[in-house]
Amino acid sequence: MPGVWIVAETREQAYELLGAARALARDMGAAVTAVVAGGSATPGECIARGADEVLVLAGLAPGEPFGAHLPVIEQEARGGSPELILLSATARGKETAARLAARLGCGLCSGCTALAFDRESRSLRMERLAYGGAAIQKLAAPSTPVIVTVPPRSVEPAAPLEGRQGRTRELPAPPPSAVKIVERKPKEKVAKDITEARVIVCAGRGFERKEDLALARALADALGGELGATRPVTEELHWLPEDLCIGLSGVQVKPELYVGLGVSGQVQHMTGVRGAKVVCAVNRDENAPIFALSDFGIVGDLYDVVPKILEALRK
Amino acid sequence: MPTLIACFKWVVDEAYIRRGPGGALDFSSVDYKIGEYDRNAIEEAVRLRDAGGGSVIGVTVGVPESAKGVKDGLSRGMDQAFFVSDPSFRDLEPSQTAAILAEVIRTRIPQYDLIACGEGSSDLYAQQVGPRLAELLGIPCVCFVQKLSLEGGTLRAERRVEDGVEVVEAPLPALVTVLPDINTPRIPGVKDTLMAGKKPVTAVTKEELTGRLEGALKTEAMTASRLERTGEKLAADAAGIARFVDSLRKSGWIT
Repeated sequence: MPGVWIVAETREQAYELLGAARALARDMGAAVTAVVAGGSATPGECIARGADEVLVLAGLAPGEPFGAHLPVIEQEARGGSPELILLSATARGKETAARLAARLGCGLCSGCTALAFDRESRSLRMERLAYGGAAIQKLAAPSTPVIVTVPPRSVEPAAPLEGRQGRTRELPAPPPSAVKIVERKPKEKVAKDITEARVIVCAGRGFERKEDLALARALADALGGELGATRPVTEELHWLPEDLCIGLSGVQVKPELYVGLGVSGQVQHMTGVRGAKVVCAVNRDENAPIFALSDFGIVGDLYDVVPKILEALRK
Repeated sequence: MPTLIACFKWVVDEAYIRRGPGGALDFSSVDYKIGEYDRNAIEEAVRLRDAGGGSVIGVTVGVPESAKGVKDGLSRGMDQAFFVSDPSFRDLEPSQTAAILAEVIRTRIPQYDLIACGEGSSDLYAQQVGPRLAELLGIPCVCFVQKLSLEGGTLRAERRVEDGVEVVEAPLPALVTVLPDINTPRIPGVKDTLMAGKKPVTAVTKEELTGRLEGALKTEAMTASRLERTGEKLAADAAGIARFVDSLRKSGWIT
């Protein structure tokens, strides 16, 4: 049916997207349709959280990727004529959204940070970050449908309501995909989730050797916090797992306190800490961009300064 | 011998964007670069050619000034390039860029095996052009690839997703978008730059394109985000350290 659609792969995604969809649908005077992977949120759970219609995706054979559902989702969207389709901005969600947008010949707002329906003009208002986070791009959609990807954990999950009714329909199995999964390597639980950490000490390129990260770890321990890193430290040097990479293309954190050690302060990285309450830094280059983006900082060699900070903290 | 296509974009280097009066973006002192992720796409295509033979064709869409980017791209090891340009191509939307790339590849590169794109552009980072392009060309698509190999008519790729890694196979021709850690892009030397000037570049004008070019979404405003803070700089002496630790304590997290 027309209105707001969500396409979810997991229960957590379904609840979050329904939270966003329910609020928008109210403003739009529209219905909510949930397209969900079998084995994620049940139809009953979706209906209680705002769905008027639930379309359950068929189970996939072991080697079939999530993208195999595309032809089925496309066909349903052509028949149902939604005005808005929401997906999570995860790896699979982003790929599915872009491919669906190309198939439907419609617009896609990727990594949407603000989404509202303007009742006066009866149009969607969207915002996202651009230029590595240096800019906010405001978008409007002259035509429908519009697809929007929403960063995970950026919206409140919908709470269940009593006595809601809705329809459920099982979708047909999709044709086999050209892309086959031949092996799945589940993530080893090596890194902590730092998105909820209250204190983060971040190691940047100012560290000369991997062993020296012990200094950053010691400060994190002294402050009761977690260790994070910039992209060069995780993805180029592979000194720390990629889950600890903070930035627009990594994780976005919102600690009470962020301490950047040897971090130059590239906008791409600093966008990932824009939710931090207090930002401070130690960097030997007084012209490093991080100083303008910090509340306070020490201009000095971290190898000299951090041990002194640790000592002062012990007092 | 495989034909490998690398798509790339010549973009504003975001490090030089300033916040102008009233929150406008100040581009007055900006420099330009090939998008960070696109360098990985070029490098991966060049790496595959060096390992298995064939040739690498670069394709880029932009304003006429992006000619600098074409030369930069060629200095990174590509054999030839298609440069689609028009003064109106400054702020193309991802749907438009993908449509132009699709038309140029379909009409001018009749046979190819692999298209490599970066996971996103360095300016908009919408992460749409690669997967949109694959759909428009009707070829398999594998996004967020951290490891890639070609064997016969098949690609094998490690794709990184939230819950781990999916090792996938797909028949060629196919499109991949690559992650930054798939390789380390080379830094072109003087010789590479000199050689780049001698490589063939095919210019394509807007007039030669037949597809519709309206954008699907409209950018209504692009304003500077607020990242600046008070920025108090302290010296690395005893007084500075004491004040730093004092400020940490005031932030309420150390007792």
